[in-house]
Amino acid sequence: MTAQVVLNGLVTGMVVALPAVALTLIYGILKFPNFAIGAMLTVGAYLALALNVYLSLPVLYAAAIGAAVFSVVAVGIDQAVFRPLRERSAITLLVASMGVSFVLENIVRFIFGNGARSFELPLARPKLVFGLRINNEQVVTAVAVIAAMAVVYVVLCHTPLGRAMRAVSDNPALAAARGIDRERIVRWTWVIAGFLTAAAGVLAGMDRAIDPLIGWNYIVTVFAASILGGLGNPVGAVLGALTVGVVEETSTLLIPPNYRQVISFCAIALLLLLRPQGLLGAQRIKK
Amino acid sequence: MNIHGSVVSAREIVLSTEGVAAGYDGDDIISDISVAVEQGSIFTVIGPNGSGKSTFIKVLAGLLPARTGEIHLGAMSIARLSAPQRVAAGLAYVPQEFNVFANLTVGENLRVSTEFLERKRRASAEQRERVLAMFPEVAGRLGLRAGYLSGGQRQMLAFACAMMAAPTVLLLDEPSAGLSPKFVAEIFDKVKSVNALGVTVVMIEQNVKEALRIADIALVLVNGATRLLATPDDILTKHDLHKLYLG
Repeated sequence: MTAQVVLNGLVTGMVVALPAVALTLIYGILKFPNFAIGAMLTVGAYLALALNVYLSLPVLYAAAIGAAVFSVVAVGIDQAVFRPLRERSAITLLVASMGVSFVLENIVRFIFGNGARSFELPLARPKLVFGLRINNEQVVTAVAVIAAMAVVYVVLCHTPLGRAMRAVSDNPALAAARGIDRERIVRWTWVIAGFLTAAAGVLAGMDRAIDPLIGWNYIVTVFAASILGGLGNPVGAVLGALTVGVVEETSTLLIPPNYRQVISFCAIALLLLLRPQGLLGAQRIKK
Repeated sequence: MNIHGSVVSAREIVLSTEGVAAGYDGDDIISDISVAVEQGSIFTVIGPNGSGKSTFIKVLAGLLPARTGEIHLGAMSIARLSAPQRVAAGLAYVPQEFNVFANLTVGENLRVSTEFLERKRRASAEQRERVLAMFPEVAGRLGLRAGYLSGGQRQMLAFACAMMAAPTVLLLDEPSAGLSPKFVAEIFDKVKSVNALGVTVVMIEQNVKEALRIADIALVLVNGATRLLATPDDILTKHDLHKLYLG
């Protein structure tokens, strides 16, 4: 029973890892917590749903195309909303991102209605491995997330774009003096963040019904994961997401499942009290 | 040696300013600064706190626009170029602080220093080898995150990063600031050895004694204006720095 719960928690954590990394990358480059991350996840789910239901594309293709489309949309949102506010404070940008969140959510309601929808997925019986029930969606989630994280890691650590992103995040003034075009890096960051978040929307939609509030179910958990890992630290965000996933899922053994987000809130509160720099915060050097 | 004096120099001028004025929001911080830096020399700018030394070097580096006046690198006018364009043109700059990427490794710092310049300006493998040979304390720590370096090592890395672009002129903003005495001597020795390779150095310094020890010529800046332009020998023998500083 416990092993099953931990497994489910790890898979939940993997879904959370994608937007948590997106949130942390945006924070690193633009220095504001993007509250619209939940609504972005919702839009990602609905884009794939539209392609899946109306164009009858298999979910996998629908997810890839939907995420690619949404990464362009994310750049568009940045250009329209955040770019004019570039030099403003983090609070201003946070409030703007709340606005983006409501607008996205209501566009979704306008087009798709308020009801719950779901992907057209072939039904499959869960497999039993060493007494653990593993369903198809969990395997897809694990493969997709591990692949995405591997790609993000290689991009960040071993490509010019990744070095430029880390340089801008570390010291924007010096990065500019080195000839790094910040706006170009900002656009690429939104491309990556948009893709990851939209893909997470699809994975979330495979696990539960898709409704206009699907992103809200994740937003606290995503913030908890990113803060746990130390905002701005992608590796920390992944570890934070897995931790939060397992802890939330394990908590359902003790408390009713609808209270599981309380655990995330408590994790944030405890962490901010005891270790404000995040679990891996010490590894990021401020000066 | 002396630019304003009677001895006419045969050496070429690599960097010059004519009537440069600059400031931040309100009035000019520096005004009417005209200097000519000779090829292969060490040119130091000294002066009391708030005299405009940092403003002057920021104008040279392209981080602050000159309100009036001209700046030439060789025959080329650079007053309108951005900071990275000036690096590409051969004018490298080492800021006083926050001069390395603390969360990137030493090796990545070296790489990033020229990676995003125009293609033909990127450091060649040979240039990288030359820089590593010049800075053994940096070469031995390529995999270490720059934030874990000591203050002196960090300054050396910042210095090495600037050298990756194979500059003709190197701008140093208070290289000895905040360093222990042991490192101060080391960093000035390094400035001297880089200069010996033919790189012209323009250096701002608080540490007047050490700066005058290695400099060929010094500009004394007081209240944003040129107070004196003379060789270190002249400054130490014929003038009184305290009187100069007090105006």
